[in-house]
Amino acid sequence: MAELQVMALSHIYSKGTPFEQTALRNVTLTIPQGQLVGIAGKTGSGKSSLIQHLNALLQPSSGTVLLDGKDIYADKKARREARFRVGLVFQYPEYQLFEETVYKDIAFGPGNMGLSQEEIDERVREAAGFAGVEEALFEKSPLELSGGQKRRIAIAGVIAMRPEVLILDEPTAGLDPGACSRVLRNISRYRRETGSTVVIVSHSMDDLAAVADRLLILSDGTVVMDGTPAEIFSDPERLEGLGLEVPKATEIAMALRRRGIHLEGAVFTHAQLKAAILKAKEDAKC
Amino acid sequence: MLKDITLGQYFPGDTVVHRLDPRTKLLLVVIYIVALFAASSWITYALVLLAVLCCMALGHISPGNMFKGLKPMLFIIILTAALNVFYTQGTPILPGWKITWEGIDRAAKMVLRIMLLITGTFLLTYTTSPIALTDGLEKLLSPLKKWKVPVHEMTMMMSMALRFIPTLIEETDKIMSAQKARGADFETGSLIQRAKALIPILVPLFVSAFQRADDLAVAMECRCYHGGEGRTRMKVLTFARRDYIALTLGVVFLIAVILMRKCGI
Amino acid sequence: MKQETIITFDNVHYTYPEETAETLCGITMQVKKGSFVAVLGINGSGKSSLAKHMNAILTPSEGKVTVYGMDTADEELTLEIRRNVGMVFQNPDNQIVANVVEDDVAFAPENLGVPTEEIRRRVNDALAQVGMEEFQKHAPHLLSGGQKQRVAIAGVLAMQPDIIVLDEPTAMLDPQGRRDVLATVKRLCREKGMTVILITHHMEECVEADSLIILDAGRIVETGSPKEVFSQVERMKMLGLSSPEPTCLLHELNDEGFSFPTDVLDAETCAELIAKELNHG
Repeated sequence: MAELQVMALSHIYSKGTPFEQTALRNVTLTIPQGQLVGIAGKTGSGKSSLIQHLNALLQPSSGTVLLDGKDIYADKKARREARFRVGLVFQYPEYQLFEETVYKDIAFGPGNMGLSQEEIDERVREAAGFAGVEEALFEKSPLELSGGQKRRIAIAGVIAMRPEVLILDEPTAGLDPGACSRVLRNISRYRRETGSTVVIVSHSMDDLAAVADRLLILSDGTVVMDGTPAEIFSDPERLEGLGLEVPKATEIAMALRRRGIHLEGAVFTHAQLKAAILKAKEDAKC
Repeated sequence: MLKDITLGQYFPGDTVVHRLDPRTKLLLVVIYIVALFAASSWITYALVLLAVLCCMALGHISPGNMFKGLKPMLFIIILTAALNVFYTQGTPILPGWKITWEGIDRAAKMVLRIMLLITGTFLLTYTTSPIALTDGLEKLLSPLKKWKVPVHEMTMMMSMALRFIPTLIEETDKIMSAQKARGADFETGSLIQRAKALIPILVPLFVSAFQRADDLAVAMECRCYHGGEGRTRMKVLTFARRDYIALTLGVVFLIAVILMRKCGI
Repeated sequence: MKQETIITFDNVHYTYPEETAETLCGITMQVKKGSFVAVLGINGSGKSSLAKHMNAILTPSEGKVTVYGMDTADEELTLEIRRNVGMVFQNPDNQIVANVVEDDVAFAPENLGVPTEEIRRRVNDALAQVGMEEFQKHAPHLLSGGQKQRVAIAGVLAMQPDIIVLDEPTAMLDPQGRRDVLATVKRLCREKGMTVILITHHMEECVEADSLIILDAGRIVETGSPKEVFSQVERMKMLGLSSPEPTCLLHELNDEGFSFPTDVLDAETCAELIAKELNHG
């Protein structure tokens, strides 16, 4: 079990200086084991600050985070444990690669956990498999590889710690469409096969709509919408009001509905849109 | 957090201190440093302190910001103080103790001197944009061009370095967080272990710094940069009345401090 | 209206020093004055190298590139070419040279030896064109990504170029920043008559271009209007790219027995067509 509970969490940057900035205001939420949660919000809405509290990287100004009911900020040991149980992949993680070989870089995390050589080796291979890093690359220098490959290696480096919760900040930013869907597919597979909790922060509503069970919409440091994609995307006007985009399928569905076409249910993926239109055609025939 | 380091940072503003010609400010800092080293008595120190406080007030620099700038130097300051307290001969404050009255006096002056030195130079960087600063420096040093000293290149490099300090600090912060998230531990272990723990930060930092340098060089070329020859400036440095007044005050201040020293005040 | 050709590539090959494989393999193309050209391709297709040939940052290993008839290989002409072809890059942090917005925008005219009063005028003008005049005295590192990128564009505009080349200018921006930068770029083209060459891997950004060039492994594999190119949905997929959602949707609906036009790129037209079909079908 790995249940994350965020308890009345607030975070203020540079407190007491002219640069003081409230990033999070009294956020409370629970992320149960195995859920795939998408987090969206404009830049500066507090997304990055929130996820950096889930593995005790940032010190809250008030409130706390519980992992299986235990305070991850209790002491140094608890903080360190949280780092390993909650894996965080930063935005543009390729900039964190530093080892001479791909293998060594993926092994850095498990190495820090004090595991045996065999255990590390097993984890590196497993993580590489999940993240889509071919073993043929193991002895190459990460610096020589393409952007998409580096991204996958960096993700493998975190997965190798076998985190019960995997958090990714903008995992597809800057990748081209092919690399993008490959990363998303790998993440989905990781969740399916390990039963881990996954949290994805993204600006791309299309990405989130495709993979998430639940969406959290942040604005100005608070969670303003929380629900299934079907619930969230049934109110596209509110999303646009918050300065967010809606998935492209939803955009077309909205345009159809404005023209008096009845489409059943919430529409937020390409497949749903196509199905809804075909259904509407059937209904029109009758 | 590293982000809180204000070293070399510029706080834009429109005060008298901001408007002074950077050459004036550079010269004033030189005068100030000479005065600081000429100061010996508590009275002269007080005078120097007063001068700095006046400039801070005129430049709207809050003591809080100044103190934040001093924080990274705290270690050096404490070390100097400790050395002076323990290694100055004289009258012990209590019989049998190593600490002497002279030591305390010297340590206190030393601390004050370092802090004033830092504060004075910070006052310059806080109120002068790096471009203005390097422009001023380039102008002041331009006579050296006669002896083939690459003044323009040197000052351009300096201004680039200053430009990238905040970017690199932010980057260091990010890389540190990313490695911490992979279980890197920078806080415990022996000195060697801690030094080793820096590799995961330094390697990516260097890689990205080189990448940035490369990108920047191309971007500068794209904007027709081709060395200092034939360059014009948007902000031409001109001495105004306030500059002459400030320089005069500076010289008077320096003479006063030196006279006080000569007269043993 | 017959448009003047402003940039030409004539069978350009390029190999990076110390590499064996060619990055560009025989590029031939023309860019018309005042047009908005989008270059689309996956990472590593040679897009950036192509862009860097337009202002003599790179010069062909073989073949010839000319700007207003000036050969980019002629070093005497380099400065004149660069003044005419402004270039904006992906990472705004790595192209801003000064700590104050206005000083940064002044950098290029200073390099060109423009007189002082004229620089001031150009800086104000350039900042106004990108809607950043109120940030004149700000420190760039405290701006958002989209704002930084607009400062970078202003820095190029201050050279008063006729052509602006943007190499993935929105790749590192959030949706808001992306919209702002694109709107700025479009305005420069449509209202100021500037020639815009936009390098990207976001298809949505190409929809409004006059012409679209698809690059793959250093070769031009498709050219035409966005409608012509994107209507080949399967071909785009094969190249690791994709067509806009409305185009894909209509394409798939056609497989289900509809007969929609294949060159619809925007949601409104798409919805209009489907609604008509459903209401009358």
